[in-house]
Amino acid sequence: MTYTFDEWFVVTLARTISDREVVFHGFGSPCAQVAMHVAKRTHAPDMLLIEGAMYAVNPNPPFIPPTGNDSSLKQGAAYSMKFEEFFDAAIRGDVDRMFLSGGQIDAYGNTNVTAVGPLEKPKVKLGGGGGGCNISATIGQLTLWTTRHRSGRTLVDKCDFITDIGHVTPAGNRAELGYTGGGPQWMVTELGVFDYDSEGRARLVEVYSDVDVDTVREATGFEFTTAADVKTVASPTCAELTIVRGIDPLGVRKSEFDPAELTRTYDHVHDPGCNC
Amino acid sequence: MIFLDPDKRVDLATAASHIGDGALLALGGGLSSRLPMALVRELVRQGRTSLHVVGSAHSMDVDLLVAAGALSICEESYVGFEQDLGLAPAYRRAAESGTITLRESCCVTILTQLRAAEMGLPFLPVRGIKGTDMRRLHPEYAETTCPFTGEVLVAVPPLIPDAALIHAPLGDLHGNLYLDKPYVLDERFAGASRAVIATVDRIVSTDELVEYGITIPAHYVQAVAEVPFGAHPASSYPNYAYDRDHMGVYVKAASKPESAAQYIEEWVMLPDGEDGYRAKLGEESLQRLTTWSESTQTWKGLFA
Repeated sequence: MTYTFDEWFVVTLARTISDREVVFHGFGSPCAQVAMHVAKRTHAPDMLLIEGAMYAVNPNPPFIPPTGNDSSLKQGAAYSMKFEEFFDAAIRGDVDRMFLSGGQIDAYGNTNVTAVGPLEKPKVKLGGGGGGCNISATIGQLTLWTTRHRSGRTLVDKCDFITDIGHVTPAGNRAELGYTGGGPQWMVTELGVFDYDSEGRARLVEVYSDVDVDTVREATGFEFTTAADVKTVASPTCAELTIVRGIDPLGVRKSEFDPAELTRTYDHVHDPGCNC
Repeated sequence: MIFLDPDKRVDLATAASHIGDGALLALGGGLSSRLPMALVRELVRQGRTSLHVVGSAHSMDVDLLVAAGALSICEESYVGFEQDLGLAPAYRRAAESGTITLRESCCVTILTQLRAAEMGLPFLPVRGIKGTDMRRLHPEYAETTCPFTGEVLVAVPPLIPDAALIHAPLGDLHGNLYLDKPYVLDERFAGASRAVIATVDRIVSTDELVEYGITIPAHYVQAVAEVPFGAHPASSYPNYAYDRDHMGVYVKAASKPESAAQYIEEWVMLPDGEDGYRAKLGEESLQRLTTWSESTQTWKGLFA
């Protein structure tokens, strides 16, 4: 059995979720969306899964559609929150984890989804941040992700605009700003996985099996430390791969990747966690 | 404002005529769901200019207004076509060349500002924003100190749109509207705006509407126009799914000014308006979008 990188990536994201967490992903985030369903159906059965722009609670969608607010995404949900119901929960601190990405991400996990280049005349006008600028302050933990690390333009020394806050901003750190949320806990890229040190800076802890630390350094615009022992990202189990394929038959997750990344293919190796 | 006329039914042109140049508009729905597309197309046909739009995460409604030169200020929290079709081409071009004013906002901030308007308050505080660059886009925000705890919070003013443009699958002659979730900000828009201008796929009796449930009551609604497929190419569940293929046609056309203008000529500036639009799409392609409930296979097939 073989699997492709998009499948491994989604499973890596899923593993940042703990059981019994309240978890949310934003719109336009198919990898995070698929990951939440993988977690719910494997190691986190009692998580509260809030489905992106539908605000549906624990749905069982027949497939992941290419848009974040198609009705298919609330199928099987006994209840869908109102928009304000979700955002109120997020700002008062009742949401444990959110997935967040960015066109630019700095060492502290600040993200820019507003504009690259000067704000008055942007080089690239990005889509915008949705609700992130407020709820990144108060949600328990953030899992950041990007599929564009290798471009060299995503992990930057300084964001041209801070849309969503990480651990430390030019205006102060979270404690100084009065924010109750814990900030970024993990950052998963197509090269590896970072956690955050006591100063709030990204630290490389794992790389994918076909990536070395030098490749990560070359692609990263900020200095980072590494764990004493940089491990290989744990490979997906058969159960996880089956769920990825079942929940996302249209392959919507693939739309996040540069086509070259989708050619990364691996042989599945049985291990004790795998119920093949 | 409160509207008491017992019969609010008008044609689309009359509905759109309530909106003037330079109006501050709240766009209902979001992303690919219940966008007020027929109203947007009609505003373009009527040559409206200098519009200022606010809302949460939107796509083709905003981009088409930009492509048509109808929009001056954009205060949406996101404009784009998600990962699937990417950045919003006309919006991006206009933002990068400075032909529209960017006032990008955040869903929570907009929600808070609408609540201030609904409650008739001069401001409300939010806990976020500090540490981000959002205030560079919003010099109107201020800071306030909590009289009880001393916490310094960002204060935001009320947001009172001149009109909320809302598309609903069903409504009645009084202007009562039934929406399928997600309602997004539409209930808040209805309470905060000076008027709701609505389109509905179908007008039904009040008794039938009550069985579905009324989401937005008639007294907020100034005008309601029956426009079948009035959200197209966005979805209007339970009636029809979104038309991903047509969104793709638009995004491709919008990638260059010349082809964007051609799209508008071909799909919007039709002499018989929405009747012409539906005729051009063809009954078969529209009916296909209503088949989503037949089976998972059919539903999934709409997006393959």
